[in-house]
Amino acid sequence: MPTPETDLDDFRSAVQEWCRQHVPAGWRKAQTGVPDEEYIAFQQWWFAQLREAGYAVPHWPARWGGGMPLAQQAVLYQELAAHDAPRLVLAFVAIHHAAATLLEAGTEEQRARHLPAILDGEIWAQGFSEPEAGSDLASLRTTARPDGDRYIVTGQKLWASGAAYADWCLLLARTDPAARKRDGISYFLLDMRTPGIDVRPIQNAVGESHFCEIFLNDVAVPAANLVGAENTGWRVAQATLGAERGLTMLELAERLGNAGFRWLVEACERLGLLTDSLTADRLAGFETELTGLRALCRNLVERHESGRAGPADASIVKLYYSELLQRMTGFGAEITGLPAHALLHKPASSGWESGAWMLDYIGSWEWTIPGGTSEIQRNIIAERGLGLPREASA
Amino acid sequence: MTADFADEPTEIRAELRAVARAVLGKAERGAAADWPVLAASGWLGLEAPGALGGADATFAEVGIIAEELGRAITRAPYLGAIVLGVGALCAVAPCDGRDDLLAEASAGEAVPVAVLTEDAAFRLERGPDGRVRLFGRASFVPDAAEASRLLVAARRDGRGEPVIAAVGPEAAGITVTPRAVLDETRGLADVDADGTEVPSQAVWPFTSDPHAAVQRLLDRAAVALACDSLGVAAAMLEATVSYTQVRHQFGRPIGSFQAVKHACADMFVQTTVARELVAAAVTALEEPRAVDVRAAASMAKSYACAAAVDIAGKAMQLHGGVGYARESGIHAYLKRAALNRDLFGSPGAHRARLAERYRS
Repeated sequence: MPTPETDLDDFRSAVQEWCRQHVPAGWRKAQTGVPDEEYIAFQQWWFAQLREAGYAVPHWPARWGGGMPLAQQAVLYQELAAHDAPRLVLAFVAIHHAAATLLEAGTEEQRARHLPAILDGEIWAQGFSEPEAGSDLASLRTTARPDGDRYIVTGQKLWASGAAYADWCLLLARTDPAARKRDGISYFLLDMRTPGIDVRPIQNAVGESHFCEIFLNDVAVPAANLVGAENTGWRVAQATLGAERGLTMLELAERLGNAGFRWLVEACERLGLLTDSLTADRLAGFETELTGLRALCRNLVERHESGRAGPADASIVKLYYSELLQRMTGFGAEITGLPAHALLHKPASSGWESGAWMLDYIGSWEWTIPGGTSEIQRNIIAERGLGLPREASA
Repeated sequence: MTADFADEPTEIRAELRAVARAVLGKAERGAAADWPVLAASGWLGLEAPGALGGADATFAEVGIIAEELGRAITRAPYLGAIVLGVGALCAVAPCDGRDDLLAEASAGEAVPVAVLTEDAAFRLERGPDGRVRLFGRASFVPDAAEASRLLVAARRDGRGEPVIAAVGPEAAGITVTPRAVLDETRGLADVDADGTEVPSQAVWPFTSDPHAAVQRLLDRAAVALACDSLGVAAAMLEATVSYTQVRHQFGRPIGSFQAVKHACADMFVQTTVARELVAAAVTALEEPRAVDVRAAASMAKSYACAAAVDIAGKAMQLHGGVGYARESGIHAYLKRAALNRDLFGSPGAHRARLAERYRS
């Protein structure tokens, strides 16, 4: 009789076989220094490959093309990482943030309009932060003024990853300037082809330009593109966060815990450091923490699915993952020494794992700053998770 | 009780935890446990067979009691006598002597303390007179001074497969010398055997591979200490969160300052990660075929026990002068956490064990 374990073994074998046939050899080299069009075409092609296999959106409900059991999702991410498959960088916001928002708070029409389109390659960006609204996101100033059956949006968004290529954007804008700052925000779906939108890429610390500024000048958004009720945008964004965080982190943690740790061990082996007791101690410490992180991520997803997630769970996972990544890549750079400094360019389609420890170490701040800095996560953990008093000014 | 654990382990375990917390929490911190109360609660024979007065439960239930003992920093010979003593008795072949001792241990009438060393330093030698005698020495043995019987892991002529030799602490040739340590909530002693005669009916073979059985007992000790440290960490986090909301400076509760708040957040994250690793190790000990038990035990031991020292230390810091004063009792948690860290393998030793796997 098949047991869950043998089922899982069969599933693993199937994914392994699929990876052997589909993961393109040498994609990192081929993707280094390519123009935008080539990067986008490659990402769209890879997404289609995964979609055909049923691997693109395993975390979605079955009705929309997902429905894979959690244990299988973990195996899928382990094997994709083990076979050094490209990451879905371009589709990331669409399949995680946008989908989670639509599933948690969208109307049936909005879901039917966008979820199948995302499977067909619709690209999304997130327009939350602003020049004066970073950690204090709720102080955002972009306004959405009601005008008949539409809103007129004016303002500036910052750090919108992938906005230069996006078809749609998740947008937070102020609809009630008189209300307390969290109570006057609404959540919109913004069609990036609407007149009045100007997108300008910003080069980041590792030389990539996926972060963008978005200038919004009297941009008309149909009222049908409002998510949830008017002025409930802050709550919609918060509710979405937990759902999305667990699932994105599951993939990231499995990647870091499998391929990431293996590369670190291999790097130590090449350098002849595996018999060095200090190195061995650090490696074992990382393996231990990665094991804890992976268990934490699976539990977060399970708790969220059963409605038992704690108010600080998502922040704990985000904080722990990003700082562990920073320490691990920092260690990789440290043991490699001067050769780690060689001037390299990050291949498009890679995540934190460019293949060069120093570059990944520099790039690790992309995980400790965006999505709520580590300092903000600690505030949330202390205030919502432990019930400590809020600061006087906040 | 037997069927209950199999049917609804989650609910039963939650109930066990709640009762243990209530009962142990009533005593003064660091006080000696009322052993008959622990026996009457059924916590001493959790893993013993029902026929011998036990509960036919698993290590998961033992781990819960260990964690709650840590939370209350109870002084009790639970590690030496229950985690290891009853654990060893359950791992050897049934016989009258073993069965009687197991029943007495479950009832709290006997305190059988296991004496284990990583390298099985005790040896059984058959003399020219045909009698078998025990020789060897172990230091810092938990709870040995409170033992009514010592279960010494020993090898015949120092080479053969390990067996358990059951000897009385008063037997000729046995010397148990208490070792005073900073942590007043644990009793440690050196055990010396110098030709103690062991009758053949007191030499008990393990029912499975003897080397693996000894290793498994050592892993049980490591994980039980990780559970204890998790309890210490949770207690210190709660005490600190509570104190920093009450203590005011600069006209505000100190828990509203980010420096304090962030330290508490880090304590919470560490405790959460420790809890995951401890849960994984407890599960691994229950289902030893499923995963690498030794690795899971080493991860839980090294992480949770180091984290508890950090957390108790941070608790002392955040309690300020009050925390350093003996009266607050924080020192007792810090000392217990530090001792837990070094018993049955330091974090470094466990990580070295983990790292051996990278070279294979």
